[in-house]
Amino acid sequence: MRKNVSLALAAVLILVLAACGSTSNNTEQNQSTTNASNSSTNSTNSTATDTPPVEERTLKIAALETAYGAAVWEEVAAAFEQQVPGVKVDLTIDKNLEDVIGPSMKSGEFPDIIHLAVGQPKGLTETFIKDNNMTELTDVLSMVIPGETETVSNKLIPGFTETTITNPYNDGKTFLMPMFYSPTGLFYNAGLFEQKGWEVPTTWDEMWALGDTAKAEGIALFAYPTTGYFDSLFYALLNEVGGAEFFTKAMNYTEGIWQTPEASQAFDIITKLASYTEKTVPANANKDNFTKNQQLILDNKALFMPNGTWVVGEMGEAPRAEGFKWGFTALPAVTEGGDRYSYTFFEQIWVPAKAENADLAKQFIAYLYSDEAGEIFAKVGAIQPIKTMSSKLDGDNKLFYSIYDSGAKAAMGAFATTDPVEGVNISDTVFGAIDSLVTGAKTQQDWVESITKASDALRPALK
Amino acid sequence: MPFNSGRSRFIFFCLAPAVTLFIIFLCIPTFDVFRMSLYKWGGYTDTKTFIGLDNFVKLFQSDKFYQVFQNSILLIVVVTIVTFAFALVFAAILSRSKLKGRDFFRVVFYIPNILSVVVISAIFSAIYDPNNGLLNSIVNLFRNEDVPVLWLGDQKIVIFSLAGAMIWQAVGYYMVMYMASMANIPESLYESADLEGATPIHQFFAITIPLIWTNIRTTLTFFIISTINMSFLFVTAMTSGGPDGATEVFLSYMYKEAYTNSSYGYGMAIGVVVFVFSFALAGILNAVTKREHLEY
Repeated sequence: MRKNVSLALAAVLILVLAACGSTSNNTEQNQSTTNASNSSTNSTNSTATDTPPVEERTLKIAALETAYGAAVWEEVAAAFEQQVPGVKVDLTIDKNLEDVIGPSMKSGEFPDIIHLAVGQPKGLTETFIKDNNMTELTDVLSMVIPGETETVSNKLIPGFTETTITNPYNDGKTFLMPMFYSPTGLFYNAGLFEQKGWEVPTTWDEMWALGDTAKAEGIALFAYPTTGYFDSLFYALLNEVGGAEFFTKAMNYTEGIWQTPEASQAFDIITKLASYTEKTVPANANKDNFTKNQQLILDNKALFMPNGTWVVGEMGEAPRAEGFKWGFTALPAVTEGGDRYSYTFFEQIWVPAKAENADLAKQFIAYLYSDEAGEIFAKVGAIQPIKTMSSKLDGDNKLFYSIYDSGAKAAMGAFATTDPVEGVNISDTVFGAIDSLVTGAKTQQDWVESITKASDALRPALK
Repeated sequence: MPFNSGRSRFIFFCLAPAVTLFIIFLCIPTFDVFRMSLYKWGGYTDTKTFIGLDNFVKLFQSDKFYQVFQNSILLIVVVTIVTFAFALVFAAILSRSKLKGRDFFRVVFYIPNILSVVVISAIFSAIYDPNNGLLNSIVNLFRNEDVPVLWLGDQKIVIFSLAGAMIWQAVGYYMVMYMASMANIPESLYESADLEGATPIHQFFAITIPLIWTNIRTTLTFFIISTINMSFLFVTAMTSGGPDGATEVFLSYMYKEAYTNSSYGYGMAIGVVVFVFSFALAGILNAVTKREHLEY
C-alpha cells in the first residue's frame, strides 16, 4: 500500500515537471503585453458597416521604454488602429526589452516591429544587423503615409536615410528607419558666460584661450559624463577636420586613414581636450555616477560637456548655481570661418527578417511619420525627423533644434557594421581609452596605435 | 528477493525527480556552454557556424583577455587573503574572549552580507567620491595636494578599491562560518593549554586553526567561486569595467563579448575557460591544503 502511494506521488512529481518543461501557447498569450485596442476597435467596427468585413490581423510591436514613457506608444497604436481598420496592435513595452523578447526570439517567435536603437549595452540591434536578420525597408520610403497624401521620403528631413546606421550594408538599401532625433553638441551654463562676459568660442583656438582664462578662476574647461558621450563629439570633429568624404572613409576603416594629417589633427584636439578636462571626471565616468560629472556644469566647476537634449530633463531636479541657464552650441570650428558640426543622434525602428506581418509593419512605420503620430510623440518631447516638426516646437527645444538653422552642419552615421570580430570593439577602443588619456595612463601614440590595430582587424569583416 | 526489487524501485522513483532536475537544469546547460564555445554565433538567429577551437585560439591571443585574467586573479588573491585573515581573527576574538556585546558585533559584522550588492556599491561609491567622499576627507587631513585621490578613477588604485568593497561585504559571512566550527572545539583543550601556560595567540595557532582546518579548506573553494561571481556584480554596479577596462573581470568581459559585441560563441569560450580555471584552482588549493585529519 505504502509502495503504491509513493509510486503515485513520484508519478505526480514527474507530471508536474513535464508540464513545466513544455512550452504552452496559453502562457505565451498571457505575457505582460499591453493591448491598446479595446474601445477603438469597437468604434471602427461600427463605422465600417458598409465595407466588407476585414479579417482582423494582429501587429506585434516591441518598443524600448525610454524617458519618453510607455503611454505615448499606446496612444499612437490606438490612432493607427483607427486609421487602418481590422488591425489590432499588440504592444510590448519594457525598460529591459531585450530580456522580455529575447527568450521567445531564441525559440523562433519574433515581433513584427522592434523599436530599439543601436548602442545599447546588450547590442541586440547590432546582433540582428550583423546576422543579416532584418527585413529591407527601402520600399517604405516610397509608401504613402496612411491618412495623408505625401510619401515617407518627401516627409523625412533629407539625409536621415543615407547614413551608415540606416543603411548598414553600404549598398543603398535601408534596413532601419530613423526615429526620434536630437541634436548633440556642447552644453554649458549661458548664465555664467553672461556674468563673466565670456564669449562662446567659435574655433578651437578660442576654446583653448578660454580654457586658460577659466583655469585661472578655478574652473575646468571640459567635462564628460562617460566616455561613451565622445561618439557624437568625435564624429562631428572628423567631419570638421576632413569633410563628409573623410568621415565616411574613417567610418569604413579605410587603410591608413588614422595616419592622415586630418586624423592626427582630430586626435591632437581630443588629447588637448583631455588635458583641459576636470581631473575627477574619470572616477565618475560610469553609468552609475555619470550625473556627478554632469553636475560639474551645473555647479560651475566645468564649462562644457558633450551631451544631447535629453540632459535638460535628466538634470531637471538637480541643484544648480545661481543664474544658471542652459546654453547649447555646435563644436567650435577647426579654422576661422570653417564648418561647424553638430552630430544628430537618432533612434531606430526595424522589422526582423522573420516577422509574420512585414507588410503591415511597413504600413505602421510609414504611419509614424504622419503629422498625427508626430504630434503625439512631440507631446512628450520625442521629435520625429519630419520636416514640419521643428517649426512647432517651443521652450528649450526650440533653441536646441534650431542649431542647424544657425549655421551648424548636421553629421550623421557611425562606425560601419562588420561581421562580429571576437574581442574587438571599436567604441571601447576609440572612446573608452579617453579615460586613460585624462589620467595619463595612455599616450596619444598608444591610443592611435590601438585604434589602427582595431581598424585593421575590422576591415576584412566589413559587410 | 521481491522485497529488494521493490525497494530499489522505490529508491529509483524517490531519486528520479531530483536527478531529472539536476540533469535538466545543471548538466545540460553546462554541456551547452561547452558546445556553444565551438560555434560562431550571434545569439539570436539559427545561423551557427561550427569553427572548432578558433574561439579559444583567438582568446589566448587577445591582450584584453590577459588583462581581464590578471584583474580576476588579483581580486581572487587579495580578497581571499584579506577576508580570510580578518574573518578568522574576528571569529577567534568573538568566540574565545569574554568581550562585552559579542552578539552585537556578530550581528554588525554579518549585516553587509544581507545588503544587496547594489546598495553596497552605492555606499562605497559615496565613500570613494573624489570631492566629498568619506575616504578623501580623511586622507586630505594628512595630504597636501590639490588633486584628490581618484579611488575609482585611477587605473592603479581602482581594482583595490573594488577589493575593499568586496572584503567588507564578505568578512561577516566567513566569520560566522568559522565561529560555528570554533564553537565545536571542546573547552577542555583550551583549559589544559592554559594550565600548561600557552598564550591565547599560541592557542589560536596550535589548537583553533588545526581543529577547524576542514572548514577552512571548504571556505577556500567558496572564496574562489564567490569572488568570481561577486566581482561581476560589483564591477557592473560600481565601475562598468572602467576606467578604460581597468576593472574588467572574467564575467563582465564574457557578458560584453557575448552580448554587446554579438559574439555569443566567444563569450561561451570565456565561460569554459573560467569554468576550467576555477575547477583547477579549487583542486590545487584542495591538494596543497591536505592535512592529516585531526579528531577531538
